[in-house]
Amino acid sequence: MRFLPVLVSLATLASAGLTAQVAPAAAPETAKPAAPATQKIRTVKLKMRDGLRFEPPRFEAKPGEALVIEIENGDTTDLTHNFVLLRPGTRETVITSALALAEKGPAQEFIPASSDILVHSQVLAPDGAAKITLTVPGEPGIYPYVCTFPGHGMIMYGALYAGVTLPPLDKDPNIPPTAAQTTVAGAGKRPFAQRIFMPEAGPAAIAVALAGSQNVCWDAGQCRLRYAWQGGFIDASANWAGNGLVLPVVPTKPWWRAPKDDFPLRFGSADAAAPTPKFLGYAATPSGPIFRYRAGETEVFEQVIPAAGRPGIAVRLQIPRAKGPVFYRAANDENSKWSSSVGTWNGGVLTLTPAQAADVTLTLTSALCTP
Amino acid sequence: MNPLALSRPLMSAALIATALLSAAPALVAAEALPAAGARVAEFYSIGKLATPAGVDPQIGGLALMPDGRMVAAFHHGEVAFYDFKKSSWKIFAEGLHEPLGVLPGKDGSLLVMQRPELTRLRDTDGDGVADSYETVFDDFGMTGNYHEFAFGPVRGPDGKLFVALNLASAGDTIRPEIRGEWSPIGLARDRFYAGDWKKYATEAGRMYGRVKWRGCVVELDETTGASSLYATGFRSPDGMFFDSAGNFYVNDNQGDWRGTSPVHIVKRGGFYGHPASLVWRPDWDGSEPLKQPVERLNALRTLPAINIPYAIYGNSPTQMVTIPQTAAWGPFGGQMIVGEMNSGRVLRLLPEQVDGVWQGACVNFVDSPALRGGIHRLVFAGDTLYLGRTHLIWAGGEGIGTVKLTKTPFEALNLHATPKGFRFEFTAPLDVSAADPMRWAGQRYFYKYHEPYGSPQMDLTPVTPSKVTLSGDGHIADVEFAELKPGYIYDFDLAGLASVAGDTVLNPRIAYTLNRVPRVPAK
Ligand SMILES: [Cu+2]
Repeated sequence: MRFLPVLVSLATLASAGLTAQVAPAAAPETAKPAAPATQKIRTVKLKMRDGLRFEPPRFEAKPGEALVIEIENGDTTDLTHNFVLLRPGTRETVITSALALAEKGPAQEFIPASSDILVHSQVLAPDGAAKITLTVPGEPGIYPYVCTFPGHGMIMYGALYAGVTLPPLDKDPNIPPTAAQTTVAGAGKRPFAQRIFMPEAGPAAIAVALAGSQNVCWDAGQCRLRYAWQGGFIDASANWAGNGLVLPVVPTKPWWRAPKDDFPLRFGSADAAAPTPKFLGYAATPSGPIFRYRAGETEVFEQVIPAAGRPGIAVRLQIPRAKGPVFYRAANDENSKWSSSVGTWNGGVLTLTPAQAADVTLTLTSALCTP
Repeated sequence: MNPLALSRPLMSAALIATALLSAAPALVAAEALPAAGARVAEFYSIGKLATPAGVDPQIGGLALMPDGRMVAAFHHGEVAFYDFKKSSWKIFAEGLHEPLGVLPGKDGSLLVMQRPELTRLRDTDGDGVADSYETVFDDFGMTGNYHEFAFGPVRGPDGKLFVALNLASAGDTIRPEIRGEWSPIGLARDRFYAGDWKKYATEAGRMYGRVKWRGCVVELDETTGASSLYATGFRSPDGMFFDSAGNFYVNDNQGDWRGTSPVHIVKRGGFYGHPASLVWRPDWDGSEPLKQPVERLNALRTLPAINIPYAIYGNSPTQMVTIPQTAAWGPFGGQMIVGEMNSGRVLRLLPEQVDGVWQGACVNFVDSPALRGGIHRLVFAGDTLYLGRTHLIWAGGEGIGTVKLTKTPFEALNLHATPKGFRFEFTAPLDVSAADPMRWAGQRYFYKYHEPYGSPQMDLTPVTPSKVTLSGDGHIADVEFAELKPGYIYDFDLAGLASVAGDTVLNPRIAYTLNRVPRVPAK
């Protein structure tokens, strides 16, 4: 295979009778205007993103239109990428030829010698950029673009639509299927539990969409409720498009957060040391997950449900075999207020007899919650 | 270039370039194996199985249930059964955290390894959907680092379960809240939170295992959940496998301390090369493993049974399975195969024990762009091999591919070490021209055991046999060398051979990891 740096590809293109020109961003003097200087050349911005994606995954141009494509590697996960624009229908062939370069790939920017390649950038390091000036071929068609870095091509691609009508995003076979996917975990289903990394929690977290509009983060590592928010469930797109590095987005500010490092249950006396919790799993029920854990030696069932008749959440605790009084630390703060179905409150601590602890519902409401 | 979907650390551009160059030094003559897609189609039919609608089609786990259904675990956390009779999927569970392995439980339940725990899924009310998500094992550490994937489980001959835990990657730091015991050995924890992670990343180790049992293989009792540390020294052990004789294979991915991807035979208490997890060995002396002399670590480690030469054979090995001994798979029945993330390829592994030492060969089995890449999970059902693909942020593919053998190709079926060289077995008789030693030209080299990422091919030397003897039926060739060097990979190119019928070898490259030269000839 011959070495094919970016500027050589100009010659290749010329010999192929195409009118595209390429210039690295660092050497703008080599870029010839692709259209009369009086005519303003449209600029298209293209970003390489986490999860082997081009953003946008597709764009439109007129056949014969002069374009400047400004490419930026905005991948925050330190991956390098290139941009290669191809003749219609040649994506898989070119990926295969690029892969066949094997260890010779790096020296030629993973660009195989191929007349199917219209223009390409160099390999761009993170934060690297390139500017490509080209004239879109006069023949209407769907021109694929792809990253030929080994392994990326099957996932990292998009399509330039030249004089061809765009199909609906979710029915476009020329873009990666993930580009059109809904990425709210559970796709709107409520109640729904999703185990995933969550902000402001330990790494073994569970996000729960309650029936209605409340959501909570329950920490399986610490066996306790961490925070609650109202509105949409988590947007997991960046987490799922990547490798888990980027946390899901909680779309609205939590209206309540648990105190730090405070496991709420105490047994025997209100001042007893916090028992060590051990997560045992959950039952998936039509009303949402019922978590099960041991607090010290005591088995606890816990379910978070919408508060009855008012905005907020309720924690239903079932402790079937408490040996003595049970204490639950649940202090009010400036906005939120706890109440309970049974038991006695004493300065932010609920005291329960063993019989009351067998089934108690604590309700948490807040001035920040709206009906 | 990236390799392993599940093991590739985040690297700076400079590191990536270095890794590439070190894997392909100028003097290396190794050619990439040709993409023989068109020829492959003469012998294998390659297709696909549609995955459930609305489910992200990246496969973390794939297994066959005792009742014949196939079960798949998906990237976003769904688990679904495929009924071959009805050709339909049914979602069984959802909302799991990056499941990377499924295994039928003993009692009709299903075991799934999620990032944070091993979970038993059970349908207690008989509606076909899991309602019990029971934690079987979560007594291991998590820092929240993205690279802490969890693999398994596999079941050993005595019924014990095994899971494997990835190291964290210096591509990122740790989360403010972690789970499990923190080892004080190494970079102080406050440095992980100092803000300028790039500054401290190298001191943490390119891969680090500071919370409980990271980089280790763990043994579990399915019933009680009781756990014990089984083996140390792993980086990203995506593939674990017990063969029918009870040998425990664990592979790993090229990277730091991994000159190329190894396949190990693992025993209790063993150390398999990546030092980060040594902090979890009960007998470790408390010193910083990453600062130990290579000689000390080298003396402690068990060598790989098989090295998979990087960029020539594979970059990122995945699940290992045995080909069923049925007519559908011809002479390959009973052999072990392994998936590859970086290209559309499945390899055969040909391990053998020589004077008590494990070693053996790897050779491409099915290598075609039609398989795409990301071949992560493999299962045989009927006469078909099902390939579950993934990529996450790395190289790979999606969905489920299928492969069937339609006609046996001319291949090196097996390769054994002999006191003077190697014994090759073929799927069809060799033409007499194969008696010419020049047709068996190969090269030998080794990969360095060191901290940097990958390794060049060291001491790369062409080798030509001194003598080749063909068996009477032409199926076997004894290839002798004037000199045999243990500690080297003997990498042959059989492209110059032909069968009596005039066929050339479909996958002509085959590489044998020669740990020991046998004293007595193979039977
Ligand atoms: Cu790329």
